[in-house]
Amino acid sequence: MAAQAKSGGLPRWLTSEHPLPWLFPVTSLLIVFGLYPVLYSLWLSFYKRNPATRTEKFLPSFNWNKLIGDDRVWDAVQVTFTYAVIALSIQLVLGMLIALLLDSDRKGFGVFRALMTLPLVVPPAVTGMMFLLMYDSSFGVISNSLYALNLLSPDKPILGTGSTALWGVIVADVWQWTPFMVLIMLAGLRALPREPFEAASIDGASSIQSFFFLTLPMMSKIIALAVLVRGIDLFRIFDYVKVMTDSGPGTATETLTAYAGTVYFKSANFSYASTVALATLILVLVVSTVFIKIFKIRF
Amino acid sequence: MPSSFFKPTLRYLVSLIVVAVFVFPIAWFGLTSIKPISAVFNKDRVVVFDFKPTLENYHVTVLGGEKASMVGGQSASMGTSGKGAYDGRGSILSSVIIAVASTFLATAIALLAAYALSRMRFWGAQGYLNWVLSQRFLPPIAIIIPLVFIFHDLGLRDTHFGIIIAHTLINIPIALLLLKSFFDDVPVEIDQAAMIDGATRFQCFYMVVLPMIRGGIAATAVLCFIFSWTEFILSLFLTNTIRTIPVKITTFVTSTGSEWGYISALGTAAIIPGFIFILLVQNHLVRGLTMGAIKD
Repeated sequence: MAAQAKSGGLPRWLTSEHPLPWLFPVTSLLIVFGLYPVLYSLWLSFYKRNPATRTEKFLPSFNWNKLIGDDRVWDAVQVTFTYAVIALSIQLVLGMLIALLLDSDRKGFGVFRALMTLPLVVPPAVTGMMFLLMYDSSFGVISNSLYALNLLSPDKPILGTGSTALWGVIVADVWQWTPFMVLIMLAGLRALPREPFEAASIDGASSIQSFFFLTLPMMSKIIALAVLVRGIDLFRIFDYVKVMTDSGPGTATETLTAYAGTVYFKSANFSYASTVALATLILVLVVSTVFIKIFKIRF
Repeated sequence: MPSSFFKPTLRYLVSLIVVAVFVFPIAWFGLTSIKPISAVFNKDRVVVFDFKPTLENYHVTVLGGEKASMVGGQSASMGTSGKGAYDGRGSILSSVIIAVASTFLATAIALLAAYALSRMRFWGAQGYLNWVLSQRFLPPIAIIIPLVFIFHDLGLRDTHFGIIIAHTLINIPIALLLLKSFFDDVPVEIDQAAMIDGATRFQCFYMVVLPMIRGGIAATAVLCFIFSWTEFILSLFLTNTIRTIPVKITTFVTSTGSEWGYISALGTAAIIPGFIFILLVQNHLVRGLTMGAIKD
């Protein structure tokens, strides 16, 4: 009634009483630059590129068959999972431990918590550079410390050796994103009710018991959410690999996104690069959907 | 009891060490930026503090000054012309323009959509939210290749406006979900009271509800700014001459050696605005990082 009186002749769906005008800008942007490119990618993936003539031929199954039979793809999937699982586990455990440590109202701890957010604002490409500098085999401070401790020999540079390169990249990721976990865990710890813990300590529970039987179960939702948000970013990892190792040595640190980038830049095979990129998207969507369903996460 | 003294002290010391470990890489980077080149590349003494601090690296990268010394021989073999290859002023300006504009655009249009999704009941609202959320899960690489073609056709390739659009796109899901969580905190009765007094939906949004979530809008804007400021992969693929700071820094690594002085100077300078902004929104940081799912 009031809405009709104020609409001033315009159809209702053009007035602010209807959701359409409110949603229009976001929707059009997401369709034109988000949804359309994904469909475009799919369409590209249906074309077979002939590198000699630089022409494309419509052959829907070609690139997808090539993907299934491409060992580098399976290697990349393995690297991606290894990277994501190791980095996520370390960040989760370390994040929880540091949150427990810094969850104090004593003087100085506020400054500690503020300083812990510092790594979050460093551009990941710059983080890659910081660690490249510290890993440098001749004057890097980390490398030289490891030489001094006899944990590393100078003829096996951290990022130049197949067995350690991925760990080198993971350390940079852990440095940058553990603070993210710390912040979320701190928020979770601060939201916990006091009464169960008081009751438990009266009943004689140790602090370790209350952690495992009270803190962890009560924070399960928050932990699941943190794992989801971080996990998705880990599956899309590109910046550190590109800056620090450029997938090397060989393909030791080649993740799926890095492989798609390599196909794009080095062989200019856009249709196959799109196929690999779409495979990443499918992987992320499947893993995250399953995770959201299992842990019933709602935004 | 000794534990009443030792435990807090021990906890403080352990915390101090942990925080020091996390601050160390940045401190080391900052220290490198004021070292003379001879001290950076000294492999016999890696940890040196008795050097003469210099601001030359900042003079070259941030202020665009002439470089007095050359390291690594032909440092002019960069993609861009040799002279001014380490001048970061254009990159700083580009990064500021892109981050500010995309923050403004993303926040503005996300505010509209977030308000509707928080206040109006309509068919498909939950599905719409899920669709927006799925954009957050989208690996940039999956849209970059077609975006290169689309941007080329629209004349957006290698333009500020193109990157602004791309950064707005990646910020929309975070901004929208976060702002919706702030709108959800405002009781619906406030809207109803305003509309009974004769306000239209838009007036109610603009004049009544918007001022009530100013803190939330500021937090959203800060996060959008930081995401745009630190973004790498889209800027790398979609530009050739316009270089945002993260992309520019990677061009300082050449086949003849890395210019660590310049890299660390521009890199350190790039961290400062983000850190100042993030300190301003500490209260809403967790909510922001989890897209509104955890309220603080």
